[in-house]
Amino acid sequence: MSLPSLAEVEHADWPSLQRICETLGLNPKGRSAVVRMRVTDFVRRRGHAPSWKPNREHQAALLTRLGSPDLAERVWESTIQLDAPAPWMGLGHAQLAGGFLGEAAKSFGHAAAMGDSSAELHRAEVLAARGDFDGAARACDTYLASHPRDLRGLLMKSSFLARAGFEEESTKVLHTAVDLHPEVPVLQRTLGLALLKAGHLAAAAEAFHEAARQDPKDLDAQAMRGAALLLAGRTREAIGLLREVLELDPSRADVLNNLGIAYLSSGRGRSAAVNLERAVKHLESPRILLNLGKIREAEGDRTEALQAYEQVLRIRAKDPDALAGRRRLSPSEKTRTTPTKPAKQTPKKPGKSTRARSRPSR
Amino acid sequence: MTLPPEVGNRFLPSVDRLEVVMRAARRAFERGDIEGALREDDIAIQLKPEYDAAWLLRGHIFRKDGNIPGAIEAFAAALKQNGESEEGWLGLASALHEVGRYNEAREAYDRLLKIHPRSIEAWIDKGAALHELRDYRAAIACYDKVLGMRPEHAGAWNNKGAALMRLGDESAAARCVEEALHLNPDFFDAIANRVLLFRKAGRHGEIVLWADRAFRIREAPWLWIVKGQAHLGLGESTLGMKAFERALALDPKSKEAKAGLRKAKLLRGKTDFYRGVYECFGTHLAGDPGCAECEIRARCHEVSP
Repeated sequence: MSLPSLAEVEHADWPSLQRICETLGLNPKGRSAVVRMRVTDFVRRRGHAPSWKPNREHQAALLTRLGSPDLAERVWESTIQLDAPAPWMGLGHAQLAGGFLGEAAKSFGHAAAMGDSSAELHRAEVLAARGDFDGAARACDTYLASHPRDLRGLLMKSSFLARAGFEEESTKVLHTAVDLHPEVPVLQRTLGLALLKAGHLAAAAEAFHEAARQDPKDLDAQAMRGAALLLAGRTREAIGLLREVLELDPSRADVLNNLGIAYLSSGRGRSAAVNLERAVKHLESPRILLNLGKIREAEGDRTEALQAYEQVLRIRAKDPDALAGRRRLSPSEKTRTTPTKPAKQTPKKPGKSTRARSRPSR
Repeated sequence: MTLPPEVGNRFLPSVDRLEVVMRAARRAFERGDIEGALREDDIAIQLKPEYDAAWLLRGHIFRKDGNIPGAIEAFAAALKQNGESEEGWLGLASALHEVGRYNEAREAYDRLLKIHPRSIEAWIDKGAALHELRDYRAAIACYDKVLGMRPEHAGAWNNKGAALMRLGDESAAARCVEEALHLNPDFFDAIANRVLLFRKAGRHGEIVLWADRAFRIREAPWLWIVKGQAHLGLGESTLGMKAFERALALDPKSKEAKAGLRKAKLLRGKTDFYRGVYECFGTHLAGDPGCAECEIRARCHEVSP
């Protein structure tokens, strides 16, 4: 009599379960879950233990995951063969987890030389972790030579180029990625963000517009387009767009802040202050508070402005802008015989929002 | 005892003697010869009073012998010699735990975790000490730490379930116990916790079912009492009587079992249901194919919550 497997028992329907009970001489009566448990117990007690045992590769991989990279490294080393790249890959990961970046790069290099092209991408990550973004971008190039359409490789290369300071080149790679994969909506937004950072404001606005067209629910793209338009000096368009975003999600502090700045640029100080106050209620960010302080100061509301600067200093004790603002507005300044004219501190840039600060998604 | 021949050529001949004596003490301890082990260990300590390994062994010997205060002293002496000894801190903490000095045990586990932050045993035991101190949330944090490192640790799942049960979060506790039983279907403590959860929910049928599964592993008088009470809830007076009788056989002084037995005898005059082959009686589930063709489903439906 052969025993059914545990998986068979687990997935057997009611008639099959009863048949199994009959075959094994077990009581087939009762609630199905209880009958199933009865059969499972029987099989577990009579059956042999599963024959799978972890071999050295499994052990090494588990050791890396369990946080013992030094042990994993030793085990991986014992599995290295002349013609298999996998142990080198595993060794590279263990070395990376152990913080031996140079060794890890070499190991991934060995794996790549043995024919595992994805090892180049791992090597690129290690090189980037060492701060060698140039080398990382070159490793991505080597990978892309054999996989020219690979999105992961393209995005990694773009990211490394941007971190190395080659923003124009990074944007070009993103353009290539967008051309090769027009079906991926997030790419347009990533491209827009790169263009925005590189100062190509009109192109960035266009990319965000395209991203929003592909996915009308993408509020991030809309909000970033608003920011791009504002920076490009197209204030009226920016105000319209930012208000549309706020209608859909009134709690977005970054958009409220940017709308405040847009109103200020168009000379509507009161509306600007109202929006910045709302933004502060949602997110007490030093950037937004500084903007609020400057607007209040420009409007001659010294007490309120001072309060905003004090609030910034409570969050960031040595913020130079807030310190300067407090110096300008502190009561001792009033004793001067010749009052200094407050410098125009109209914030020109929209405050950095948490969204705008995030790295492009891959 | 003969000393190795090379002793005479060494600058410190007592080192060889010490090794021989310690080996003999360990062997005696492994054999279960407590007296012999203690005798040899005494010699080792006389040869080298500041030898931490000898004090550690002394702690283990005392602990096995049930002399917990002696074990605590021995482990403390070992730690005086070597404050970084994981074995010493674990031994001391376990001994303190055993005599109910949970606060000190927790401190000892903390010291051990400073030396070895990934010690599964220390995290689990610290959680157990915190559980005894009724700091259930901190205990859960310890179990979560273990589960972060070893998600397949059935003991940690079970302990977390027990702590959650104490906090009154029965549904989360049930999930943890379920996980523990999935990983180890014969885990007595987890089965017992499941029984307790069913008792809280008033599910007599499940109590009987799972208590029977627990008895395949180990008997406990309290579990027989819980089972007896569940039988009474299902109207099964004879089975209830048998359960209380078994509880009394294991613990003749149990007042609860005596009261239960009296109650079962009284109930027997009114009702005594016989379930036959249906071990799942009292767990009726509408729509289940097994319940649909059950001969006693009408009665089962009545007593299922």
